Amino acid sequence: MSKLGDYLVLSGRSFYWAILACFRGQFPKVTEIFAQMVEIGVGAIPIVTMVCFFIGLVLAIQSAYQLVQIGAGSFVADIVGVSIVREIGPLLSAIVMAGRSGAAVTAQLGTMKVSEEIEALQVMGIDPIRYLVAPRLLAMMVMLPCITVLCEIVGMFGGFLFGHFSLQIPADLYIERTIHALALKDFYTGMIKTEVFAVLVGTIACYCGFAVQGGADGVGKATTQAVVASIVSIIAADCLLTGVFYYAL
Amino acid sequence: MIVVRDLVKAFNGRPILDGISVTVKKRDVLVIMGGSGCGKSTLLRQIIGLSKPDSGEIWIRGQDITRMDERVFTEMRKKFGMLFQSGALFNSMTVGENVSLPILEHTKLAEEVVNIMVKIKLELVGLTGFEHMMPSEISGGMKKRVGLARAIAMDPELLFCDEPSAGLDPVMTAVIDTLMVDLSRKLGMTLVVVTHDMASAFRIATKMVMLFQGKLVASGTPEYIKSLDNPIVKQFINGEADGPIPLRLSSDDYLKNLLG
Repeated sequence: MSKLGDYLVLSGRSFYWAILACFRGQFPKVTEIFAQMVEIGVGAIPIVTMVCFFIGLVLAIQSAYQLVQIGAGSFVADIVGVSIVREIGPLLSAIVMAGRSGAAVTAQLGTMKVSEEIEALQVMGIDPIRYLVAPRLLAMMVMLPCITVLCEIVGMFGGFLFGHFSLQIPADLYIERTIHALALKDFYTGMIKTEVFAVLVGTIACYCGFAVQGGADGVGKATTQAVVASIVSIIAADCLLTGVFYYAL
Repeated sequence: MIVVRDLVKAFNGRPILDGISVTVKKRDVLVIMGGSGCGKSTLLRQIIGLSKPDSGEIWIRGQDITRMDERVFTEMRKKFGMLFQSGALFNSMTVGENVSLPILEHTKLAEEVVNIMVKIKLELVGLTGFEHMMPSEISGGMKKRVGLARAIAMDPELLFCDEPSAGLDPVMTAVIDTLMVDLSRKLGMTLVVVTHDMASAFRIATKMVMLFQGKLVASGTPEYIKSLDNPIVKQFINGEADGPIPLRLSSDDYLKNLLG
């Protein structure tokens, strides 16, 4: 319970330094944010696109399996488009980012904690949350939505490949059906989810990194913990948000 | 400058610091001595606020830091420098970037000025020309000297050193000792140094305290400490194996411990 309290305090202070402090004219270092955006976001592009491509393909194949039986093969485009934009895209990108970039952030901050680097910052009068957490959180909040959009496009492309070449759906029809099936709401609910996931992954990864105790062993444990906690909370938040969007919007 | 009153700190029920009171005046060089595990580093960590004491007060420049708002304290720490036992350099930055970090963070000086300041500080610790090395490429003793250069980068009013001479050769130890004496006499810095290197301690100290099992056993000028007849102090400063300082930390009966 006290851990949850610590986590909330850290999240609050990260938000202060990442967002509110900017209105008071105290910006985090721009170069540091860009460095983290490359580290956290750009580096994750290959794995995220690969995963999403395959999932899009699988989604198309699995839905065709049912739809072809009732002679509605062209609905594959609708199903793939809607499920990727509303659900799979945000969820999958967040989970892959938690496993790749979140874990990296935890391991990095944890190693810094173990080698007294974080204490050294404190003693110098440099707030570690402002200096280390804020740029990482901001980078995550900017990059995860970008990655998600990319993931959705690649995922739909995977579905398109199967629909076009195996189900013989003409390309223009497939694209038209996808566009027709998607409402603006599908996109922005997905983006709201993504932003929530980005905050969860960023704050949990940083919290676990700061909470490291002991040596290399502690870093390993904290990294595992960060990935597990991020994935569980992403899925829980997804469930909650999907419910809210279903009933309220 | 620093007043510590009745400081108590325990870990898992075992008292590490048990009612410590120390006063440090401006320009003093306070040396905290004591065997391994006696609470020297813990005392230092309390004074710079890296961990909070269970009870007691710590006054620095007229303010009680145990009851201070975190943000005010962060502001105050800009006047502090600290050399960690391991150096605690940022491994992802070069030596030069490490030393320039506090300057860049706290001032708006031009890059050329900062570079000159970094060169001066590295020169002081005998590491001219090492700016572009990574911490992983230099030896442990060099890391420590970079740590010292970084600690004094902002010309702090208060400098804390945790085992500055551990891992340094005798010549470098003497260089660092001279530097510390100069910092206090010429620049008016106040130093708090934790060490168990007696030669170095007597060279730099204007005041010494000795900790033993979490308690303060002696406190005074180096001459006074030398003249003391206290067997614990005598054993420690002469480095003798026989005496009242036990080998083991626990006071359990040895035989009982062995036989379970």
